[in-house]
Amino acid sequence: MKNSNFIQRSVIAAPAFLKEIIFSEEIALRSGFLQSLDPRIKSLTFLLLIIQVLLSQSISVLSFFYALCLFLAVISKVKLGFFLKRTWIFIPLFSLFIAIPAVFTLGPAAVSVFVVRVLTCVSYAVLLSITTRHFELLRVLRIFKIPQIFVMTLEMCYRYIYLFVEIIEQTYQAVKSRVGVLAHYKSGQRIAAWNIASLWNRSVKLNEDVYQAMLSRGYHGEAVAWNDFKIKTRDWLWLSTVVMIIWKI
Amino acid sequence: MVIYGSNDHMENIIFELKDVHFSYLGKFPALGGVDIKINQGQKISVIGANGTGKSTFLQILDAIIFADQGSVSFCNEQLNEKLFDNEEFSRNFRRKVGFIFQNPDVQLFCPTVKEDIVFGPLQLGFAKEQIQKRLDKLIDALGIQDLLNRPPYQLSIGEKRKVAIASTLIIEPEILILDEPTAGLDPLTTRHIIDLLIQENINGRTIITSTHDLHIVEEISDLVYVFGHQRKIVKSGLAGDILNDTALLTENNLVHIHSHKHKDKTHIHPHLHLDHHGENH
Repeated sequence: MKNSNFIQRSVIAAPAFLKEIIFSEEIALRSGFLQSLDPRIKSLTFLLLIIQVLLSQSISVLSFFYALCLFLAVISKVKLGFFLKRTWIFIPLFSLFIAIPAVFTLGPAAVSVFVVRVLTCVSYAVLLSITTRHFELLRVLRIFKIPQIFVMTLEMCYRYIYLFVEIIEQTYQAVKSRVGVLAHYKSGQRIAAWNIASLWNRSVKLNEDVYQAMLSRGYHGEAVAWNDFKIKTRDWLWLSTVVMIIWKI
Repeated sequence: MVIYGSNDHMENIIFELKDVHFSYLGKFPALGGVDIKINQGQKISVIGANGTGKSTFLQILDAIIFADQGSVSFCNEQLNEKLFDNEEFSRNFRRKVGFIFQNPDVQLFCPTVKEDIVFGPLQLGFAKEQIQKRLDKLIDALGIQDLLNRPPYQLSIGEKRKVAIASTLIIEPEILILDEPTAGLDPLTTRHIIDLLIQENINGRTIITSTHDLHIVEEISDLVYVFGHQRKIVKSGLAGDILNDTALLTENNLVHIHSHKHKDKTHIHPHLHLDHHGENH
């Protein structure tokens, strides 16, 4: 029964997790400092900051950039507890475990620099992603001259993952309504396999239908995109500040 | 079989299909010999039970699939896949013919509602100022101002349908093809969409609609084409005549036997979904 509960928990928890992590744009919609910036300028400055962090060897410089990141989080109405939890799990912890053996060869100072550098980079990346709406982040890829077709494919993946997450949830509910909650784990595995196959078939069909819908509205192999980003004085000020900080350091 | 046409537009045939056959993967037949002429400015409906080929027929009109056998002509030009390799022809055709899919999730593939609406005109080479003007006009007409920056997956089915309609109407096509535009909608949204279609027809657009919803047929069509189980048109005629042909509708699964109670007596009768329940007894 434990195994069956594991499948059940996974089926319920995975889509809920995806919805919460990927599709919740609650923070990005708040009226904070970073949310008010043009996504292109914001992404560019964050990229500059991350590069600077990667090149820094001094623990005090790295600490300054980490403190700046936390300050930006606060003025962007991101709760510190939530932000620290998001940024401290996985990558910084793993990097810490990886770095521990190096304490004996490179010494504790080098290890501290490594861990703080990873933590700071991850923090900037997370802060950018939670304060920017995801479709805007994808659109920003265009300014880095990523081919339009590639950006569009990513945008579509993002848009249709939600549809598939919903299908998974509904399929699970449909199965549950017919077999009850007490499916043997072997049947559970079989049902999960059927669902994967069915989802694959649906995605292939959807792929054909969406392509037809694109053709119907004039798509001919090279998509043209709408760009309505506007750079304001605040964006230029922020860009200058970041460039100055990096220059001085 | 008599092919009806509006007298005002008899000379302007926009679509003409002769003995059109189509099958999926070469083995699942979807159309079994369709003949039809559609005149400019008409509003027509295609009705029929599930699986009778209505959606396939509309997709052939929109040239997103092509007939296996028979001929399809658009403004006296034979449509085939090769013709659409010509960018100019393809662009002109797509500017003239707009298709609203049955499933709005298929049609709304962009990250935001606004991008979905402007996708068509951008691909068709409209100027940005023109697109913005049309967008402003449409969001006013459809009341979708608040939806513009939302992702399509967050919308209700009625909102998705409105956005899908907006994404086609912004192209201002001469011919509007709609696959089940009112399926799954509440009565008020259905009414809104019917009014919009009537207005678009008054503005000169040809409206071709596939539907199961018999109570909207009379309003949105001058002519009705009934698709039968043989996956071809079994009858066409004026909306009123077709809707009064109970035998035809019953034979083609468009009416159902309805049972209900009045005080202590149980009535059983065919139910046409045409009028208010009480008036049909």
